[in-house]
Amino acid sequence: MNNKPKIGVYVCHCGVNIARTVDVEAVREFASRLPNVKVVRNYAYMCSDPGQLLIRDDVEKEGLNRIVVASCSPRMHENTFRKTLAAAGLNPYYLEMANIREQCSWVHEDREEATAKAKKLVYAAVAKARLLEPLYEKEVEVEPASLVIGGGIAGIQAALDIANAGFKVYLVEKTPSVGGRMSQLDKTFPTLDCSACILTPKMVDVANHPNIELLAYSQVEDISGYVGNFDVKVRKKARYVDVDKCTGCGICAEECRLKGRIPSEFDMGMGKRSAIYLPFPQAVPAKYTIDPERCLYLTRGKCGKSPKCADACTAGAINFEQQDEIVEFKVGTVIVATGFDTFDPTRKPEYGYADYDNVLTGLELERLVSASGPTGGNIVLGEGENAFVPKDIAFIKCVGSRDKSVGNEYCSRVCCMYTAKLAHLVEEKIPGANVRIYYMDVRAFGKGFEEFYDRVRREGIRYIRGNPSEIFKRGDKLVIKVEDTLAATPLEDEVDMVVLAVGLEPRKDAREIIDILRLSQSADRFYLEAHPKLAPVDTATDGVFLAGCAQGPKDIPDTVAQAKGAASSALVLLSSGKVKIQAQISFINENTCRGCGYCVEICPYGAIELVTISRMGNPVQVGRVNEALCKGCGACAAACFSGSAQQKSFMDRQILPQIAVLGVMR
Amino acid sequence: MVNVDKLKEIARETISRDDVKYLIGWRQGTYGFRAAPYFMSTPEEAEELIFSPLCTNNLATYLTLAEKLPVPRGQEPDSRKVALLVKGCDSRAVVQQLVEQGISRERVLVIGCPCRGVIDQKKVEAKFPDVREAVSAVWDGDTVVFNLPGGSVAVPRQEVLAGKCLTCRYPNPVIADVTVWEEVAVWGSDDYVDVRELEAGSPQQRWGFWEEKFASCMRCYSCRNVCPMCYCEDCVLDRLNPQWIMRSVNTAENTAFHLARAFHLAGRCIECGECERVCPVDIPLMKLNRKLTKEVRDKYAYEPGVDPEAKPLQASYRPDDKEDFIL
Repeated sequence: MNNKPKIGVYVCHCGVNIARTVDVEAVREFASRLPNVKVVRNYAYMCSDPGQLLIRDDVEKEGLNRIVVASCSPRMHENTFRKTLAAAGLNPYYLEMANIREQCSWVHEDREEATAKAKKLVYAAVAKARLLEPLYEKEVEVEPASLVIGGGIAGIQAALDIANAGFKVYLVEKTPSVGGRMSQLDKTFPTLDCSACILTPKMVDVANHPNIELLAYSQVEDISGYVGNFDVKVRKKARYVDVDKCTGCGICAEECRLKGRIPSEFDMGMGKRSAIYLPFPQAVPAKYTIDPERCLYLTRGKCGKSPKCADACTAGAINFEQQDEIVEFKVGTVIVATGFDTFDPTRKPEYGYADYDNVLTGLELERLVSASGPTGGNIVLGEGENAFVPKDIAFIKCVGSRDKSVGNEYCSRVCCMYTAKLAHLVEEKIPGANVRIYYMDVRAFGKGFEEFYDRVRREGIRYIRGNPSEIFKRGDKLVIKVEDTLAATPLEDEVDMVVLAVGLEPRKDAREIIDILRLSQSADRFYLEAHPKLAPVDTATDGVFLAGCAQGPKDIPDTVAQAKGAASSALVLLSSGKVKIQAQISFINENTCRGCGYCVEICPYGAIELVTISRMGNPVQVGRVNEALCKGCGACAAACFSGSAQQKSFMDRQILPQIAVLGVMR
Repeated sequence: MVNVDKLKEIARETISRDDVKYLIGWRQGTYGFRAAPYFMSTPEEAEELIFSPLCTNNLATYLTLAEKLPVPRGQEPDSRKVALLVKGCDSRAVVQQLVEQGISRERVLVIGCPCRGVIDQKKVEAKFPDVREAVSAVWDGDTVVFNLPGGSVAVPRQEVLAGKCLTCRYPNPVIADVTVWEEVAVWGSDDYVDVRELEAGSPQQRWGFWEEKFASCMRCYSCRNVCPMCYCEDCVLDRLNPQWIMRSVNTAENTAFHLARAFHLAGRCIECGECERVCPVDIPLMKLNRKLTKEVRDKYAYEPGVDPEAKPLQASYRPDDKEDFIL
């Protein structure tokens, strides 16, 4: 085939977006005089059907073999025009775009200068278009299984959806039970349905589903590979209980010498458990776990004459010899649903969380009002003789959210509503309680939220606009110092209990997953999605998706929606069974590579490895790109001293002439 | 103290080993105040080895410069070690080559020679002009003694040592399989005074300074060829497609060449000063290299060629890396 470049240049008006600032006719006229250019047209909307048809007709009639589209950013429409080229029978990578919108008409006002710049950009694109080479997309098989990291409601939902579609799911949960934060909640806003009642059936489904392998009390150690073919290594931590034998009867926990002496994580430290424990009654799997950091036998090697749990267990399930186990398997997609941590209010010392017992967090109050909580659902503070039911109760909102002083600029999105919900529950449980809420703004944005907020106010809960400056003790009371900013009145409010509506933060161990999956973080330190609007569940790594609060604060409906989105994105890959991999990837010239390995270290996708080859009989090390892993970011090409690493479509010899015509060189 | 007899003995032992291909050291040059690189492969040749203030060459260059001849079919490639004498500064080149995987540790045998500073040819020749005969030299206390035809002359070290030696912080090898004699006390410290002086000037002054220097460059590429850190199989600057730098010798292309060379050495230059030493037109290349070394030190607290386990600067990343230089 005669591959002498015959270039078609298409200048887009983009309505008036480009044409208002750039003289598109002058650009067209200029481009017609450039070397190798056969056809030049301008058109109102190149991306429209008639616009694309222009290209297809010209390819057919004029025999064009390279196309330059001068329009918007390639991020916008490169794919559109690649498809046009493919439909016209050309290799889709014979396309070069000149961005005369974002990089020209939108950022300039002077029409003459903008037109001159548009001409240069078109000239540069033509210079490169001459040197474009055809590229071919390869396909790889997709392993028909998925890994879900995190067994909260997001992970549970995603796992169920994928499993119901007929694919294998490995659900890995760090703690002994699935359920996550939602299992700790009493009621859910705004409908006030019981959290456990709607969650528990799903937890049981996860455990019983034939397609789901539940790996609770396990941690992902390593993930390598690429979309469709991830190799996963999971550490199943030793429970010291044989789960096949354990019936969950709980006699062991009754007998444990440390019974009632260890703060329960599930009850936010307010309830007590044994060293062998079930995190909460509805835990799934309903198998006991020995806390290796607390158990007397495991920490000191001795527990009386013999461990009481082992003596008590009729099933003989206790096994102190158990070791961590490494499980390895292959999956095609990964869903990260690792959730969040609540803000640690000791970072706002003015609220006295560390000093006063009667200052609680929202999640702690949640456990107090819960029927399964440490007080059986009664809101009682203090212990023994000092126990009392608080009457004057204040909530403080935005603790650790919308607060630059603690580094959290974002809104945590759930605190307004959980505060309203808890205030309602307090009113319900303590007749005659006097509840007020100190707030900056009330954000009741979701379905049924505003109605619920109205309802709570009608119930007599007072909203006072003001951000408390200090909490201190006066006698038996806590005093909140605050200015009512609507009334412009300084107040000192005496209360029995303060509830801090703490915000949501990225998990403290968020880095572990970042290191394993090479994820990015956004400015708020949550995991970064591929695009905030159009790819909100995707990540920069193909085949890895986000669900739930790992990506940012969310309420339960949004979390479930995103989990379903992540599951369906994963299913797109799993059900098609094949995935196309990038064509514009890097390659390394093994004849000139000196094997320094800079590219290996610098590659954010772990796509390059050093291999030993024979150069005239001498063994030498050279870099080699794994085509399935490479995303074509070009970092290796930039790092390479000898220019041996190059990125297809962006090779030095394609870019230098492009720069040259801009007048920088020659 | 320097003990050349012991050095010879170690060299003889080393070269007698079956797993050593050859040994690279120094011997007296044929004229003036020069030592020449010496490649020896038999024990007898050890007699000619020297170690003296004349041993300026950084022999680590030869580790990567050695040509890899085609291996005839059916034969195994020669996997024997190369033994190498190193001063403190030279040893840093070995370390950096290891860091960059330019050489492998099991293929090199490092013989460390703690050093008291080598001479600057130009300073010595200015003191003793027109000496044609080969002159040997030794360290003696705070002097260097030159055995001139008319008798020995002692000159204070300060007057004849190379600039890099006056501020040397690494007179003792940072890596060695065997160290021939005891280590010497470190005398130097480095505040980058030369770089600071240059930085104090206005951009116009600095440009004027370099423009004049680069204009005189004749692109002999000696600086590149002698550099122990320049060892790509195929240098980008030699390539015709794409041609980053024109072959024409003019200020613009010369500047592009020197800037590219300097940037390729950022975070890699171990300051052996060989480029500046071999420059036939006296371009102060170390000022350029050291400017980048100083930037790297200030911004990333990184020093190349010290720790063989370190990651190369350009290939390492920390989330708190400074990026205030990005406009």
